[in-house]
Amino acid sequence: MAHPPTARSRRGLRTTLIGWSFILPNFLGFALLTLVPMLAAFVLSFMDWDSYNPPEWVGLKNLERLLDDESTKVALRNTALYALGHVPLTALAALALALLLNRRMAGVGFFRAAAFFPYVTSMVAVAVVWNMLFNPSFGPVNQFLHLLGVENPPGWTTSTDWAMPAVVLTSVWRDMGYYMVLFLAGLQAIPQEHYEAARVDGAGPWQRFRAVTLPGLRPVTFLVLILLTVQSFKVFDLIVVMTDGGPGRATLVLSQQIYRQGIIEGEFGYASAISLVLFLLVLVLTLIQFWFNNRGER
Amino acid sequence: MIRRKMLAAVGLAMAALLPLTACGSGDDTESGPVELTVAVWSLASTPEFQTLFDAFHKANPDITVKPVDILAADYPTKVTTMLAGGDTTDVITMKTLADYVRFSGRGQLQDLTASATAQAGKLAGLDAYNQGGKYFALPYRQDFWVLYYNKKLFDAAKQPYPENLTWDQYVELAKKLTSGSGETKVYGAYQHVWRSVVHAIAAAQTGGDQLGGDYKFLADQYRTALALQDAGATLDYGTAVTQKTGYASMFESGKAAMVPMGSWFIAKILADKKAGTTDVDWGIAPMPQRTGTTGVTTFGAPTAFAVNKKAKHSAAAQKFVEFASSLEGAKAITGIGVVPAFSSDEIRAQYFTLPGMPTDDLSKKAFAPDKVNPEMPVSDKTAKVDTILAEEHQLIMTKEKAIDDGIKEMETRVKNEVN
Repeated sequence: MAHPPTARSRRGLRTTLIGWSFILPNFLGFALLTLVPMLAAFVLSFMDWDSYNPPEWVGLKNLERLLDDESTKVALRNTALYALGHVPLTALAALALALLLNRRMAGVGFFRAAAFFPYVTSMVAVAVVWNMLFNPSFGPVNQFLHLLGVENPPGWTTSTDWAMPAVVLTSVWRDMGYYMVLFLAGLQAIPQEHYEAARVDGAGPWQRFRAVTLPGLRPVTFLVLILLTVQSFKVFDLIVVMTDGGPGRATLVLSQQIYRQGIIEGEFGYASAISLVLFLLVLVLTLIQFWFNNRGER
Repeated sequence: MIRRKMLAAVGLAMAALLPLTACGSGDDTESGPVELTVAVWSLASTPEFQTLFDAFHKANPDITVKPVDILAADYPTKVTTMLAGGDTTDVITMKTLADYVRFSGRGQLQDLTASATAQAGKLAGLDAYNQGGKYFALPYRQDFWVLYYNKKLFDAAKQPYPENLTWDQYVELAKKLTSGSGETKVYGAYQHVWRSVVHAIAAAQTGGDQLGGDYKFLADQYRTALALQDAGATLDYGTAVTQKTGYASMFESGKAAMVPMGSWFIAKILADKKAGTTDVDWGIAPMPQRTGTTGVTTFGAPTAFAVNKKAKHSAAAQKFVEFASSLEGAKAITGIGVVPAFSSDEIRAQYFTLPGMPTDDLSKKAFAPDKVNPEMPVSDKTAKVDTILAEEHQLIMTKEKAIDDGIKEMETRVKNEVN
């Protein structure tokens, strides 16, 4: 009954080619606009280039400079701080929203849409409006805090201590709706039988959440955490519009530093070196998360 | 996202580098109609460009100008990318001196030294374009800073118009002109958030060097700025930044009695009055000065046209650049309230015949300051120092740092971070 091997491999080749042809349009775009530039940036990290004259090989000079550059270090620290705030808070808020809206009740569709809405809004509009809400003297946020009896409400985006929390809060508000949708999908994929079995065994709501919901959500949580981490380390638009890295360097982040060094100051080699560091950082963090996930699944 | 985009831009630019050698600059022997391309920003809201194009076409009927319109905020980055990709746009407008230094330093602009020497002495701001004895651009406008004031608010507060003010008198006057509270508050002054409002004024009037690394000369001007703010006589810095307050709306809606600002604002007020969006009764006065000095010293910055090294029509492009900085070009843009680089009594007289322009003696005096120093000295360090000074400026103005600490930090950072 066995086919002759040649026909089989020919059919295999055919299938492969058909598969490739489906991927091709996407892959072309990816290769041309992402892969080639990424490789170019990698090579540029070891060069001096002003975008016009031929690049000059400088070896590790850019990386050495990076170690000495106070602004880049500040940017690295701020990016990490932002991620430390943004990743867990967004994940928690999204999970809480998903649990709240994963039930049969009147108007649940409306509330889900409402929670998702900030994500559809343009980032620039979000940043401008929240900037006004956070205005230290006339802003609604501080007026509300006054009502609650807070004597000295924070200066938010005008204060070096509070600018980062303000930016994190805004980004959590904007992103939680999107991740809520992912969590909702995850929740609905958990078989009801598991909950029933847990109930039969006498598990309370908290135990059911810990023993059924959380393990059931593991793949989704993993995805959400990776997406959030990558997103956090790439943060740019929100910060540029809301604080432009200020006051001082209080909210200066890595992608903004790359933009300043490369596009504004025209030092593409150095900017590429910083982006290489950013890339390695995200890669390592993602690998760690993969490792954790694999260990947990065993 | 942006990082990926940036990488993409870099890669594309690299790819574009390879076949570049093929497209050299255009030949100068061409005859017949020429379509000249000129890179400009926000054409619709910057009427001087179309005005210049029309005047140039009238003088040279066989050359038509085709603008390459770029959003003002993106202009420097867009032009950087264009030139890196071997773009053949003929004329490139130099929005800032910092851009000029970068483009000319990379060898992206044509040498215009001959035209520059021919115009020497007549063009204000030309010196700023001197690069080791060579010139790669010619200024066509030269803005300088004056004090705009609202006559109605002065009359209501029974205060004399601001003639020969010192900075201390300016602060006192601003306090007297401040009235009301909350939404209807009228401020005696509005100091915009740019660092030039403190730094460039201090540098111009004390002779301090913004690239020098010693910033003690800024202290007095910071004391003035913070005194205004503490007295509530100006919108505080934090609010102005978070609300993205526009200086034009503060002045044109009568919410501020005095606004120090560049002369480009004149054209905007004239246009807005013509369009009926403001009825402000205004005048200009010389900038306030330091106590114990004579004469009027202010600061300013030129704007210039340059010819792309890879221009398709080099000869026509050079003709346009020369025209824009000549008397004819100056007459054309003076007609819409723009201050040209070409200075002559004829131009000054023409300026004050514009409809809507205040014609009192104080305004005329303000229009002829004794000395206009450059806003920011230009070198390959300018961009880096600028970033540091701007960051520390925010900290001082939001009172995150005391004046002396902020200045000390500027000095340490410039020393350590700018080699």
